[in-house]
Amino acid sequence: MLKYIIKRILMLIPVLLGVSIIVFLIMRVFSPDPAPIVLGQHATQQAVETWRQANGLNDPIILQYFHFITGAVTGDMGTSYYTKAPVLQEILSRFPATIELALVAIILAAIFGILIGVISAVKKNSIFDNAGMFIALIGVSMPIFWLGILLIILFSGTLHWLPSSGRINPMLQPAGVTGFYLIDSLIAGDMEAFADALQHLVLPAVALAMYSMAIIARMSRSSMLETLQQDYIRTARAKGVSEGRVIRKHALRNGLIPIVTVIGLQLGSLLGGAVLTETVFSWPGIGAYTVTCILKSDFPVVQGVVLLIATVFVLVNLVVDVIYAFLDPRIKFSKKEG
Amino acid sequence: MKKGKKIFALALMVFLVSAALTGCGSNTKSNTASKTSDTLIYAQGAEPRGLDPAMVDDGESAKVMINIYEGLLKYNKDSTKVEPSLAKSWEVSPDGLTYTFHLQEGVKFQDGTDFNADAVKFNIDRQLPPQATKDMAYASFVYGSVKNVEVVDKNTVKINLTAPSTPFLNNLAMAMSAPIVSPKALQDNKNNVNQAPVGTGPYKFVKWAKDENIVLVRNDQYWGTKALTQNVIFKFIKDNSARVVALNNGEADMIDGIDATVVKQITDAGNKIFQAPGMNINYMAYNTSKKPFNDSKLRVAISQAINVPEMVKSLYQGYAEPATSILPTFMEGYDKSVSQVAYDPKASAETLKAAGLTSVHVITYTNPRPYNSANGQALAEAIQGYFSKVGITATIDSYDWTTYKAKVKAGDYDIAFYGWVGDNGDPDNFMYLLGVNDPGLNIALYKNAEFNKLIAKGVATPAGAERNAIYTQLEKIAAADAAWLPISHAQTLAAYRPNVDGFYFHMTGVTPFAGVSKK
Repeated sequence: MLKYIIKRILMLIPVLLGVSIIVFLIMRVFSPDPAPIVLGQHATQQAVETWRQANGLNDPIILQYFHFITGAVTGDMGTSYYTKAPVLQEILSRFPATIELALVAIILAAIFGILIGVISAVKKNSIFDNAGMFIALIGVSMPIFWLGILLIILFSGTLHWLPSSGRINPMLQPAGVTGFYLIDSLIAGDMEAFADALQHLVLPAVALAMYSMAIIARMSRSSMLETLQQDYIRTARAKGVSEGRVIRKHALRNGLIPIVTVIGLQLGSLLGGAVLTETVFSWPGIGAYTVTCILKSDFPVVQGVVLLIATVFVLVNLVVDVIYAFLDPRIKFSKKEG
Repeated sequence: MKKGKKIFALALMVFLVSAALTGCGSNTKSNTASKTSDTLIYAQGAEPRGLDPAMVDDGESAKVMINIYEGLLKYNKDSTKVEPSLAKSWEVSPDGLTYTFHLQEGVKFQDGTDFNADAVKFNIDRQLPPQATKDMAYASFVYGSVKNVEVVDKNTVKINLTAPSTPFLNNLAMAMSAPIVSPKALQDNKNNVNQAPVGTGPYKFVKWAKDENIVLVRNDQYWGTKALTQNVIFKFIKDNSARVVALNNGEADMIDGIDATVVKQITDAGNKIFQAPGMNINYMAYNTSKKPFNDSKLRVAISQAINVPEMVKSLYQGYAEPATSILPTFMEGYDKSVSQVAYDPKASAETLKAAGLTSVHVITYTNPRPYNSANGQALAEAIQGYFSKVGITATIDSYDWTTYKAKVKAGDYDIAFYGWVGDNGDPDNFMYLLGVNDPGLNIALYKNAEFNKLIAKGVATPAGAERNAIYTQLEKIAAADAAWLPISHAQTLAAYRPNVDGFYFHMTGVTPFAGVSKK
């Protein structure tokens, strides 16, 4: 198992190299010149040239890439063209917001998705099944920004139950230990801040969870239906095992493997930053920030963010693969590899 | 044991959720009620670039910085005339080359260090060669005419210029470059206080949660009249409709970046609209460097085809004034006798037919701009309609703003749309655009030696009637030559809750909060 994990982590290197080359080229080839954006409306042609020279943008592209990658290896991602702050600091100050939102959303999505999927499968073709799959259909088809705006108008604009934007009331913001406001406020013992952070999380998390929940529900339903056809289920029932136990211990556990894969993939993409949700709810995460930086041709930041997201995606998939082994003891990576 | 753990986890969940929704909920209300009355929340559409006045160039930064810093001078509340601020008085030498400023005494920076002549010199020197860096966007604009700075005594500072420059005084009231930063803070932060601003202003910086908010607190040691409200929070809400909901929901006390489409939604919720003339110009430019528009007759003919007042009314629904001149109406040098090419489709069609011109290549931008809330494409399409009535087919190419700027610089167009937001409230800041030799600023590529001579004369002439006459003359030349068709001046629109008192948005795009309070 350990050997397998190490091997998978080593695989990160070629993946990241590939990703870095692609993002580097795309930014250099398709993005407008950052110099006029950085220098503002009074920039003269001469100032633009001097700035490009100073930032190495007139060097051959191979040399530029070499400088970038040698910096990145030593942990120096450069500084943002636009704000002049170190890229790593800019990313790390926003990443906890994205993680917090993604985790809450994926937990919501997994709980409700699996619940709907399993009930739909067990009560196949019943009213539960049809209602569940209808909700799932809405979830996959409704554009997330539209759902977000509807939620804001209803719960903030009309009912005034929940806040429409941001992560927390700024006056209650807990001191940053982890950057996760739910955890930080608990550590500080500030229940008022905790409640406020939770209230701010509800709408964006629901909006974000909707799509993933729908996917998980559909996958759970089909996976469960398939498992329930298996011989060992019939055997279990024949042995007189109660129906609840059959579903939980025999069917669900076996049906979970594809579901866990889907949850992993969904979490990976949510951690990459939910651009639309973050924009609609002014959630200070990495997704909306990246889009702003792409529009400003802030090359160092975009490169840094993409590398980070690729790393996270690969790691989440590794965790998913490891979870397989716990779910299904027949899967043994070391043997397979050896 | 296992079951016990599960029950414990479940109980914890139930406790947390119920605490969040009930007990603490009511607590929150009573607590925030006492807190919120002393906190102003301002929601803006984007995050500031930074809070070091020498390092930034964006309006979002200026709104925050104006509350933290002060310059030697400041603008009058209702115009761009300058008034004393950190300098209590000043003299200009007869040759216009030496400015002597007498500073306020006993002023301290928010870090406790003294404000004095040395601090002024320190701030200007860092933005002059050789210390200035290329990415100080406004250094050469504000201090370009400065030769050196001399400290006469603790409270007197002398600034020597290389050539007389009347706009220089206006520059010293700007929110960019001109504010005085604590030299100690600059030394402590490697000459960049983007994240750790320290000034002499009515509010002190507390913290900045990236992409979320900036918190300021009243500077109780402030030398002047102290701010009325304890805390000011700048929130960043990108989505326009979410910002309106935040105002109507009471999550923000004031918002900006609104347009005509949401005014009713805001007023229906009982909130108020702030509306004032804006210091900007929205214009159409002809490429005067090549055929067909190197001929001023054809430029005039095309301008005659467009009914500017009608178009402005329909595009901006009363929230922009049709432009009769390049200068905004409140600015020195504005003269209401100046007028642009009048609407005359018949004459237009005749001239164009005689010249055999049937098609033009138009480029424009796709997003709204501060001077054009409708966006460049809507404007170009409206004009395309007028063109078709005089027998001209316009091909429109639209680009996002950053790509568009590069296209404009490349110069491959007959007609382009652009605009300008004034920096310092001086007429030169608008009129020089037609004289400067830079395709990024003078997009019409207009060249007129007589015009340039007058521009230079205007800069050197002391403020007054003689100087204003120069700008009126410049306006007349520009109108006759028709390199631009001035379209509109966008008004400044903001909204605030009815319990907010004293809120205003200055025409230079800043929001000073010292005099704002909440009932």
